[in-house]
Amino acid sequence: MGPKNDVRYVGKPVSRLDGLEKVTGQAVYSVDIVVPGMLYGATLRSPLPHARIMEMDISEAGNVPGVRAVVTGRDFPFTFGTVIQDQPFLAMDKVRYVGEPVVAVAAETEAVAQEALEKIKVKYEELPAVFDPREAAARGAPVIHDDLEKYVRSDCEIIPGTNTCTLNAYSLGNVETGFRNSDEIFEDDFYIHAVAHSPMETHAAVAQYSPNSEEFIIWSSTDRPYRLARDFANGLSIPLSKVRFISNYSGGGFGGKGGMIAEAVAVALARFTRGRPVKVVFSREEELTASHTRHASFIRLKTGVKRDGTLMARRAEITWDNGAYAASGPSVAKRGALTVFGPYRTPHIELVSRLVYTNKETGGAYRGFGTTQVTWACEVQMDIIAGRIGVDPLEIRFRNGYREGDFYINGQTLHSVGFRETLERASREIGWGEKKAGKVGTKARGKGIAATIKGTNTPTDSSCFIKVDPDGSIALLSSSVEIGGGQKTVLAQIAADTIGVPLTSISVPNPDTNITPYDHAVASSRTTYHMGNAVRIAGQKVRKKILEMAGEVLKVDPGGLSLSEGKIVKEGAGEQITLKALLAKRFGAKGGGILEEGYFTPEGSRLLDALPGLKGMSSIFWMFAVHAVEVEVDTETGVVKVLKIVAAHDVGKAINPMGCEQQIEGAVIMGVSNTLFEEFKMEKGRILNDTLADYKLASILDIPEIIPILVESHHPEGPFGAKGIGEPAAAPTAPAIANAVFDAIGIRFKDLPITRERVLAALKKF
Amino acid sequence: MKVAIELEVNNESYKVEVEPWTTLLHLLREGLHLTGTKEGCGLGDCGTCIVLVDGVPVNSCLMLAVDAHGHRVTTIEGLAADGKLHPLQKSFIEKGAMQCGFCTPAMILSAKALLDKSPQASEQEIKRALAGVLCRCGSYQKIIEAVRAVTEGLENGA
Repeated sequence: MGPKNDVRYVGKPVSRLDGLEKVTGQAVYSVDIVVPGMLYGATLRSPLPHARIMEMDISEAGNVPGVRAVVTGRDFPFTFGTVIQDQPFLAMDKVRYVGEPVVAVAAETEAVAQEALEKIKVKYEELPAVFDPREAAARGAPVIHDDLEKYVRSDCEIIPGTNTCTLNAYSLGNVETGFRNSDEIFEDDFYIHAVAHSPMETHAAVAQYSPNSEEFIIWSSTDRPYRLARDFANGLSIPLSKVRFISNYSGGGFGGKGGMIAEAVAVALARFTRGRPVKVVFSREEELTASHTRHASFIRLKTGVKRDGTLMARRAEITWDNGAYAASGPSVAKRGALTVFGPYRTPHIELVSRLVYTNKETGGAYRGFGTTQVTWACEVQMDIIAGRIGVDPLEIRFRNGYREGDFYINGQTLHSVGFRETLERASREIGWGEKKAGKVGTKARGKGIAATIKGTNTPTDSSCFIKVDPDGSIALLSSSVEIGGGQKTVLAQIAADTIGVPLTSISVPNPDTNITPYDHAVASSRTTYHMGNAVRIAGQKVRKKILEMAGEVLKVDPGGLSLSEGKIVKEGAGEQITLKALLAKRFGAKGGGILEEGYFTPEGSRLLDALPGLKGMSSIFWMFAVHAVEVEVDTETGVVKVLKIVAAHDVGKAINPMGCEQQIEGAVIMGVSNTLFEEFKMEKGRILNDTLADYKLASILDIPEIIPILVESHHPEGPFGAKGIGEPAAAPTAPAIANAVFDAIGIRFKDLPITRERVLAALKKF
Repeated sequence: MKVAIELEVNNESYKVEVEPWTTLLHLLREGLHLTGTKEGCGLGDCGTCIVLVDGVPVNSCLMLAVDAHGHRVTTIEGLAADGKLHPLQKSFIEKGAMQCGFCTPAMILSAKALLDKSPQASEQEIKRALAGVLCRCGSYQKIIEAVRAVTEGLENGA
């Protein structure tokens, strides 16, 4: 309707909507929530990795003055789980990892709650434990879930009586034929370690139960209020209407705030405190040892190539370390595993992906959702192949890399493929192919490159309301949580340009499942695309309504009107009336407003068409990225210093280039940190480095020069052509560093992390 | 046995009673409702609880409230004067120097302590001054840019 509106905000590095609240200390996070009558919760955790609970004596704890509830798994015998309902709120008959919640206490103060924990006596009978998923998958291993087949589950195959939680297999073509027709065969084993999400805000939640309405209210930093509400309702067998999530700002998530973690303990306690709310805030020790981790994985990759580097066949066997409970593991092992073949045409492929329980902290969604793990194997092996057959590592990626119109491994036609441009621009910026600097003293330099492909969980739904108040203020009501990724700002930019109003007139309140409509999650790099499309749909309806209203009030044909920066403009005649004045005229003193909804799902899009029965593997968009790295390795100390990282990302369209840069720079730093510094030190299932002094995160002194490059391939169905950015930036960093280390000192790392101790040990052997 | 202390927080005088073991962080957040100061670890490792005591950055989780008796404390809530943002606050917004924002108050206060002493601090000095605060979102590059923009602005007399 009307002339096309201008694009004023989309594509511009607009400042964050949440900036002011964040620089003034006014932003409210879950740890800041205070509700009248609030009690404080604390958790007694398992000291053993695998044991039967024989006796629990909580009587003394209950007598501590100020204690209001002491709850065990016997009092609250429920389990939860998104795919497999295998996890108790509080341990019932057994504990399965060091740190598992066993007894929870609610008290008037934190100190009293902690004091009461010391008075609880639990007798365990220790059971044999297993920590390596390869051993756990073997015959005769101690079985961690005795009743695996009895659990409620959806959409996954288990193997009862074993620790194999899920097993997925997929093949295309015939790998054996592919290997036979190859000139060279490569077979390598890779390992990528578990790491902690380590958000600066630890997990925290406040839960309140109303004994009258039997409703739970949960204040939480989760990235998926609706899905967590569903998991609760399913776990407790209560209607969804009895669970309400109120979201706050999230002090960092990276996938780790997607599970039911502090929320589970808070809810179990709240059920027994006669309506008083209970706050549970994890200590840093609990955060590191009893939340979720990235799944460690063992990856065997067999690849056949022609002499010129053309990929013929690839077989991947992946064993994922699930930890004690499934959480999002089944989805990681299914969807995440598929990108092990990388952004490359490969005619014959075969995949076996096995998710295995161990007696360790639970694996969960971690930025990249499995893609980070499999990219490690894929991209280090690409370098091994290139080296052995004498093809440049950049060239082998160009030769096999996806182009527009190629088929993905399920036959989906790939669209908006900016892969070649990411390769070109990243390699140019790092000076690929330039003469290598010689070793100076003990310091050797090298360059490396790595690529990744990442899709988004498809199909998933998003919906929103847009509300226009009589003074022209606009509220965008959605359940997309601001987890730090700039979600509010991007959605407001899309709304402002779609409707034709100033960005400053738009507010984006935090989600509340009693008010804001359904959204799948802020996950899978999906928010800009999915919620962005929902906002566009609602915004177009709002714009149409405003222009029709203007036509009526001005008594002109609305077809000749447009809305720009909150002003009604008539073609050829200029500004007629402001939106505010229009609404005042239309509604007058009695008041009124405009409300529209937007609903979006990619389901039914022709872009998802694939081979028969394989549409489930399609993604509505594919993100491509290339990282090119220069490192300096000190051969005397083993220290790897990353000098420069060029990170080229195909984002479709950068709605907010500054936000995209933030995501890329941040993920690269996380990637450097994961690769060079971070590692859990374990002893009999116990994590020994449970502080940030011992579990080392990259600080401001550790960062390389980072050059983000935004490639815009314009997705045909994305809002303004956008795809996504949140996850893929963490994936190619590790293999790019490892490939650069090889270039520098000739040592090939197939296992992560690349700590100075490992580099030094390898140099000594060399 | 509670202890009476007097201290100045964001230019306001407070007389409060605290337990001898109450940390300054706890007093600020729970007692004075200044929740802009965050707790990330409680052990002095992450720096998100940094406030300025007599202009010096301090991990408030490691300082007892009784030790703040007679001292001048500045938290993030005290930085904007008369509704006007401090140049660092403005610069952090303009340069996109935050994501989740949880470490932002500590980053800004650490930078303020540096710039109050050396308004034209170098990049190396900025990095050293901010090294006590961890940012898992990895906004470091843009944080350095934001602080540098202020040092350059001051150089120009802006």
